[in-house]
Amino acid sequence: MATGHTLKAFDEELDQLRAMVSQMGGLAEHAIREAMRCLMKRDCDGARIAVENDRKIDALEAEAEQRIVQLIALRAPMADDLREAVAALKIVGVVERIGDYAKNIAKRVPDIGGAARIEPISLLPEMARMVTEMVHEVLEAFVRRDPARAQAVCERDAAVDDFYNSIFRALLTFMMEDPGKITESAHLLFVAKNLERIGDHATNIAEMVYYAATGERLGERPKGGHDQAASK
Amino acid sequence: MNDAAATLRIETPADAHADGPVKIDIRALDFFYGKSKALNAVDLAVPAHAVTAIIGPSGCGKSTLLRTINRIFEIYPDQNAEGEIVIDGENVLDRRYKLSALRRKVGMVFQKPTPFASSIRNNVAFALAYYERLPRAELNDRIEDALRQAALWDEVKDKLNASALSLSGGQQQRLCIARTIAVQPGIVLLDEPTSALDPISTAKIEELIHEMRTRFTIVIVTHNMQQAARVSQKTAFFHLGNLVEFDDTSRIFTNPRVDRTRDYITGRYG
Repeated sequence: MATGHTLKAFDEELDQLRAMVSQMGGLAEHAIREAMRCLMKRDCDGARIAVENDRKIDALEAEAEQRIVQLIALRAPMADDLREAVAALKIVGVVERIGDYAKNIAKRVPDIGGAARIEPISLLPEMARMVTEMVHEVLEAFVRRDPARAQAVCERDAAVDDFYNSIFRALLTFMMEDPGKITESAHLLFVAKNLERIGDHATNIAEMVYYAATGERLGERPKGGHDQAASK
Repeated sequence: MNDAAATLRIETPADAHADGPVKIDIRALDFFYGKSKALNAVDLAVPAHAVTAIIGPSGCGKSTLLRTINRIFEIYPDQNAEGEIVIDGENVLDRRYKLSALRRKVGMVFQKPTPFASSIRNNVAFALAYYERLPRAELNDRIEDALRQAALWDEVKDKLNASALSLSGGQQQRLCIARTIAVQPGIVLLDEPTSALDPISTAKIEELIHEMRTRFTIVIVTHNMQQAARVSQKTAFFHLGNLVEFDDTSRIFTNPRVDRTRDYITGRYG
């Protein structure tokens, strides 16, 4: 922004709001990383703590929501300020959801005790790294009001979808070869699906950031993969 | 933008009528106070049967524009306008255009209520008697009509002979609107009509403006941006005598095209 508002307090409130969204994003990123660490190391105690930590994200969401409603009521924001307030309101809801997916991954850790024997699990950390980075990038784009950065996040979602499709096929093959490992494989499939959903949500946030920054909607985003069975 | 996004654009019912025929076509309008230029090559097509809000900081030329549309400036010798204001196919700035004909077409309501120091009835009857010779029964009907249209009838019907000055500020302003619309002017100019009123009276006037939209072409100058957003379908932003941006009100307040407009409506101005 070239110039600040005549009312400095309004600028401060907007800055605080951005900081809060950024903080929530940081917690969500940490939650994904921690859930994946516990999954790979089969750290059940750590996973329990990760599940509990999701409450922090929920609490922040509630606080952010209240602040945004207050900001809209008291400051009557217009144009890009209005778009940003509404986007922030939606984004905190989505980040909360991302936290839930991470929690869901952590919850499965005790059920995947012997998963180390399942070879496709080795693909999951890379997929998790990709979606965590998308979450990080998209919230940076929001804080910096950078539509190009948001758009770049959208473009990365296709790779995540492709990744998911290949894990889906690998796990399916694995299950057919060794029906004794179906339970664990199914859990891993859900983990992969959770990560894929996180990527989708990061993309949704990117669209909100783009709209907040430019007032225009992003065009249809390219869909990754053509594996219909896996994408449903 | 893809087609899906285009069809998703939300249009309020009020917006749907905003691009009707042009009622006031302002072309290359310059305005001078002596040697100082207050309006600079303004082109503005005001749509019929819609509310057009004029916003902008003090001294931007918005009141000057209203004063030009009804040629009220002519009483001051050192003020003059160049360019055209075409209403119903005629350039009303042309000296040959009769002022009385213009007054008949263009009514104006000012910032402070300006009722005549006479009865409520006479305030409305005055202009009617001036422009039209009406039988008494019809005159009474027209007075009632105007007061009803101004949403004032129920409050004054039992005291039409009381002094207009005994009314509250909000009622006086609605009386001024009744007086203006009694002669069925087609165009109503409102110069900050609620800036001297409390929120309830303001809401009543805004509701009235909304109702009037279907019968009149309305141009409102306001410092209150929320008011512009609430009552108008089109908004024009003026700055330093220039028309900076003119568009659907919904567009101006959610996604203006020009940075200067954005800075003004978001409070970053100056």
